[in-house]
Formats: sequence, C-alpha cells, structure tokens
Amino acid sequence: MWLSILIYSLLVLSSLLFCLIFGLPYLLSLALPERLRGRVIRYIILVYGRMIVYVAMRPCIRVRFEDLSGGQRRPGIYVFNHRSSSDPFLVSVLGEEIVQIVNGWPMRLKFYGYFARLGEYIDSTAGDYASFAAQIRMLNERGVSIVAFPEGTRSGGRHMNAFRSGIFHLARELRLPIYPGCIAGNEEMPTRRFKFKKSGTIMVRLLPPILPAEQDQFPSAYALKIAVHRRIRQETAKMDKELDDAVIQPGK
Amino acid sequence: MTRDRLIELINQIFVDQFELEPEELTPEKRIFEDFALDSLDIVDLITGLQRKFGISLRDNKDVQQIRTLQDIYDLVEKLARDNPDLIAKLPE
Repeated sequence: MWLSILIYSLLVLSSLLFCLIFGLPYLLSLALPERLRGRVIRYIILVYGRMIVYVAMRPCIRVRFEDLSGGQRRPGIYVFNHRSSSDPFLVSVLGEEIVQIVNGWPMRLKFYGYFARLGEYIDSTAGDYASFAAQIRMLNERGVSIVAFPEGTRSGGRHMNAFRSGIFHLARELRLPIYPGCIAGNEEMPTRRFKFKKSGTIMVRLLPPILPAEQDQFPSAYALKIAVHRRIRQETAKMDKELDDAVIQPGK
Repeated sequence: MTRDRLIELINQIFVDQFELEPEELTPEKRIFEDFALDSLDIVDLITGLQRKFGISLRDNKDVQQIRTLQDIYDLVEKLARDNPDLIAKLPE
C-alpha cells in the first residue's frame, strides 16, 4: 500500500509541476486551428508521458527500451500487448507523435480523457470500420503513427488475451507497416485494481516491422493477427524470463 | 455431394484463409472463443463460403446464429439441399 501511495504521490506532484510548465503552451494551443492544436497537444502528451516514465516513476520503477525495429521508422501502426494501465504511458518511449486507440472509458476521464480528445485519440467504441479507416488515413498522411492494444483490455498478468482483428484489416487496407511492441514486467505496476504491488524494471521492446509487402503474404487479416500475436507472445515470454533471471535493481 | 465432402471444403477455407491446422477443425469448436475469430473475420469467412459454394449469405439470418464449426456445416448443408444446381458445380 505504501508503494502505491508513494508512486501516486510522485505522479500527482510531477503532473502538477508539468501543468505549471506546460500550462501556457496548452492555453495558447487552444487558439490554434484544430489540426495544429492536435499536433501541439500530442507533443505535450509525449513530453508528459516521458516525464512520468523516465522521471516521476524513476525512484521506484526503471524502464528499459530496446528498439529492434532496425533502420528508420515511418508512420505506421504500433501493436502492443496490454497487461497494465501503465501501458499507455510506456508507449511514450517511442519518442514520436502518436495517436492511441483507446476504450470509451479512458476518453471520458476528466484530465486524461480531455487531453486525449484534444490530441485526436481514437475512441474504439465510437465509430465504425469506415470512420476508423478515414481517421487513421488522415492521421497517417500527416505523419502520425497509431498505437493499438488489440487485446482490448488489460490482461492483468503475463498471459495475452486474443487479439481483435480490426487494426490488422486496417493495416492491410491502408498499406501501413505494423510494428509489434512488447511490454513486460509491469503486470503488477499497477495491477488491474490500480495497486502497485512491487517496484523494479519494466522492459519495452520494439520488434522488426511487418511491412505491407510481407503482410500480403498472409492470406487474411486473421492470419496476420495470429502471426503478430505469436511474435509478441514469444518475445514477452523471453522478456519475462530475462526479468526473472536478472536481478535488476532500480537506479542501477 | 456428401456431407463429408462439404465438411472437407469448408475446412479447406479455414486452412487456406485462416491458416488453422486441419486437426484443430473439429465440429464442436467454437469459432469465436476457440479460434478467436471476430466480427470482421466472419465477414472474410462468409466471403470465402460464398466464393467456394457460389451461394449468397448476405441476407441469410441463420448466419447470425453461427457459434460452432458444426453450425457452419449444418448451414451449408441446408443451403446445398436448397440449391442443388449450384452445389453440383463443385469439384467432387
């Protein structure tokens, strides 16, 4: 319990500090046209996420990011496994302008939901396939990548739930690269009940992309989905083992 | 055309389109839970069935009742009985 109190205190304090620093740019952005405002807000969200991941949680949680994607990344679709509510913060390690596809309830949160809406985040519960395709195409043309958690909900453990197919249909239709991403170590940071049960290391690993030409080799979006699920599942199992084997102290 | 042949052709769609292993394809398997197909995949499945059997499933209400592989076998068999001309064109 004390760990949760400590971490949430750090989060609140750093958020307040962040609001003081970025309050003025945020207010100025409200006067901008929608498209430009979205860009400014996404940049603010990115800096906020990185501050939470690399500064605010640092006394208790260390985050290691490994980019195995090779070469320069172009805007596409990042597909991550989803164990914990810390995942949407952890994707800030990518260091690029992104829009996340999120469930309805986070979009309705007072603080995070407000900024998510301003940042043109996509509510997976509001819209149909055609409207998502149009949104993603438009964002991609502006150089914005999409982050999706196709499990749809947090697994809360080391297992992975089945993927939904929508994002894989969209990737094939829009000819976008898929970047499989793996997050391990955060299944109790925090738990599904938002409690931090331990401190330690979280690993984020980006795997080589599946480019449109490779996606064409799959007979269906379903087959692509199953292949991506398998790659992430195998890699997160390796990462779990690495975390179990290595005694990695925070701050080292 | 025998029921066995119909089952074989249906299973072939699952193997070709969804890369499932033939030994996984047993009648009691639930297509949503066991194979993790979702509504968009079902659209692909319907397209595959229509293409393979030359039948239209667009307005077929029974499609919405499909839960297991057995349900698909039964549906296609029923349609085969109703459309002997179309099914006759299938390779034996």
